[in-house]
Amino acid sequence: MSKTILIVDDSASVRTVVATALKGAGYSVVDACDGRDALSKLNGTKVHLIISDFNMPNMDGIAFVKEVKKLPNYKFTPICMLTTESEQSKIQEGKDAGAKAWIVKPFQPPKLLAAVEKLVLP
Amino acid sequence: MNLDAGLQAFSEESRELLQSMEDTLLQLEAKPDDDDLINGLFRAVHTVKGSAGLFGFDRVVEFAHLAESVMGRVRDHQVAVANDLPSLLLESRDHLGLLIEQALDGKPDPDEDSIRTGKALSARLQRHLSDRPAGEAQSRSIPAPTAPVLPARREAGVENRCWHISLRFGTEVLRNGMDPLSFIRYLNTAGEIVNLTTLEAMPDPAEMDAESCYLGFEIDLNSAADKEAIASVFEFVQDDCLIHILPPNSPIASYGELIEALPEENARIGEILRAGGALTESEFGTILAGWEKRLGGAGGEAESMPEPSGDAGIRPGVVEPSIVNAGADKYKKVKEHKEEENQVVRVSAAKLEDLVNLVGELVISGANTNLLARRSGGRRLADATETLAGLVENIRDTALSLRMVEIGTTFNRFRRVVREVSRELGKEIDLVISGGDTGLDKTVADKIGDPLMHLVRNALDHGIETPAERESAGKPLTETLHLNAYHDSGSIVIEICDDGRGLVREKILAKALEKQLIKENQSLTDSEIQRLIFEPGFSTAEQATNLSGRGVGMDVVLRNIAALRGRIDVESTPGEGAKISIRLPLTLAIIDGFLVQVGKSSYVIPLDLVDECVEFSEVASESYQDSQHINLRGEILPYIRLGEVFKCHTPGARDSQSQKVRENIVVTRYAGQKAGLVVDELLGEHQTVIKPLGTIFKNVKGLSGATILGSGEVAMIVDVPGLVSRVSESGCPQRTNPVNLEEVRH
Repeated sequence: MSKTILIVDDSASVRTVVATALKGAGYSVVDACDGRDALSKLNGTKVHLIISDFNMPNMDGIAFVKEVKKLPNYKFTPICMLTTESEQSKIQEGKDAGAKAWIVKPFQPPKLLAAVEKLVLP
Repeated sequence: MNLDAGLQAFSEESRELLQSMEDTLLQLEAKPDDDDLINGLFRAVHTVKGSAGLFGFDRVVEFAHLAESVMGRVRDHQVAVANDLPSLLLESRDHLGLLIEQALDGKPDPDEDSIRTGKALSARLQRHLSDRPAGEAQSRSIPAPTAPVLPARREAGVENRCWHISLRFGTEVLRNGMDPLSFIRYLNTAGEIVNLTTLEAMPDPAEMDAESCYLGFEIDLNSAADKEAIASVFEFVQDDCLIHILPPNSPIASYGELIEALPEENARIGEILRAGGALTESEFGTILAGWEKRLGGAGGEAESMPEPSGDAGIRPGVVEPSIVNAGADKYKKVKEHKEEENQVVRVSAAKLEDLVNLVGELVISGANTNLLARRSGGRRLADATETLAGLVENIRDTALSLRMVEIGTTFNRFRRVVREVSRELGKEIDLVISGGDTGLDKTVADKIGDPLMHLVRNALDHGIETPAERESAGKPLTETLHLNAYHDSGSIVIEICDDGRGLVREKILAKALEKQLIKENQSLTDSEIQRLIFEPGFSTAEQATNLSGRGVGMDVVLRNIAALRGRIDVESTPGEGAKISIRLPLTLAIIDGFLVQVGKSSYVIPLDLVDECVEFSEVASESYQDSQHINLRGEILPYIRLGEVFKCHTPGARDSQSQKVRENIVVTRYAGQKAGLVVDELLGEHQTVIKPLGTIFKNVKGLSGATILGSGEVAMIVDVPGLVSRVSESGCPQRTNPVNLEEVRH
């Protein structure tokens, strides 16, 4: 059974690239375009890792992480934030909310996979 | 890895984002304090930057970063939306678009022009950042792993050629979703784990929390990697954990400090290190001897490093809660605002095209089934197929509505044009848009953009006067350009109204004479004169401005609109303004048709255009002597015989049968004009899937397409507007040189 990763980003191209890279490495991927969409997709789905952007419409990354941490089924699910170098302060904000891992954009797929492998194995 | 799908997504996404940036910037000029707009703008450029980075489009990233920094300052109210900032950001947006285009085209070397523009814009953007503390904008370094680096000593190193890693996971690690084991497994990618000792610091069973982590590891790693690479393995847990990494052959003293730094008792750690092979017996002895020398230093024992606290990740004071709350509130607002527009599913246009085609086939075979059922006489079968036909009709409408887009998107493109033109020409122009929610088929919307653009530019350039002229005419200084759209009998009507000088009769006539489009002394009606502007090669601008082009426009506009089965009308009141109306069919794919028979052929007349059907012999008895008109309840109705137009049967044959064959006249109405089409038989309503005619039929007049009947036969679709204009023209007083719309149309 391959591990499932939820990718939350409002940019379709980021979702596409991340999904392609992860699928290539043997993961299953669920994607969502913002925090609210992601919460609705989490509902009942077994997810081994959540990768989320910060800056999104509707529900941003921080609010989303806080919501996830309130869900009993997902409180042990690792969350990895996507940030850009101009958002260093956001990393701390994310950590405070409960997302301990991060990937700095722009990233190439190998960098993404390395981070993911630290958190889950395919 | 195949990035094609990603690039495709990026291309679409960036186009949309750039469009939204433009819309937002234009709105921002009117509402410079709207936080939602500013946030949206920031997010758009931010997303472009992030996505471009994925594909290594460095020039895009670099420029977007600069623009983002400026927008970030605007968002934080450090820079006000004023002066030239909107223009600068608009230009930056254009440049960004150019860079993206070049990146997507895979152009390795940017042309000099774009470099120059980029530099100029960058310098102007920098000015808005200049009072920012130095270096802040460029803070792009990833925080260095904070695992304490023990200072290297010049002393002799230990014999151990492995890296030694001491790990104490914090109690919160599991709750943070981190699995200690996956980090150990991942460490294998950096080298070979030679030795691993697990330490458990289990509390009393009563105090133990099953969700807490009490694990520690002493690891010897054989690796060629550098310290940073090894430390980066533990990047995500370094906040909560105690991590010490000693390079191979580290000085004995470093190990001494390590042992002291670890929370466990020194003797136990020493034993573990020795057992694991990190230290030899004698090396450990040296460390022990060192401690003994410092006897009495009780503080030297263990506790130099605090136990990782459960809340290691939380650093109070880093972020003010009020800021977080303010941010949350802001997002809430945006959330409510954007709620509606996010409830959409993106579907590629090609898939919709397929669906519409399939629905077309469904409609055809549905019509066939219906026909067969009716012929079979089975009442229940007929009922069932009737229900089915109703459903098919619904599916057809729904499928077509999927492709419906709002004309407002197209209209909004003109905000920018109007803004720029008003600056360039020194005219003050107010663009009023109404009916933006009027829907039309995407294929039509895509094709109407360019003709509309031309008409708008023409109105701006030729129609609207300078402020001085307006003042002397006693008009308000700010001119109004009004774009309007509405639905009317199966068509969408788009109007472009301006309150400018209108079409100047004398000017047009003079120009037409000069271009030899008309002859001297030719008498023309106002509407004929207005039509002249659509003649090829006609242009009244004294000098070709870069705005409305070089006079190649209006005839092309007319042709493009005719190709969409549309028509264009001009109304003008000298001195008060002009109104150009474009009438277009809502969809190009399927129409409700009215099936008629002429001779042995079937023809379809678009049902929207059919007013009524009358038996021809009835009205013919009261007809005028002139066989081109009949008296329809006191109204003069020009008519045309389809059979003659399309030469379906020889007139002789018809004449000999005229007493027997009952003919019908279909009264059609298009844009206020009525005309009759005489046919043999009325076959009733028919859902018509329009198949385009091949290029061979390009010059055939009076037909707009073909369709396949349920029986598999082909029926031609009658081009009613074309025929109506032909009929009404033939009824008009003769002109020496009629401006024939037909000739332009085809």
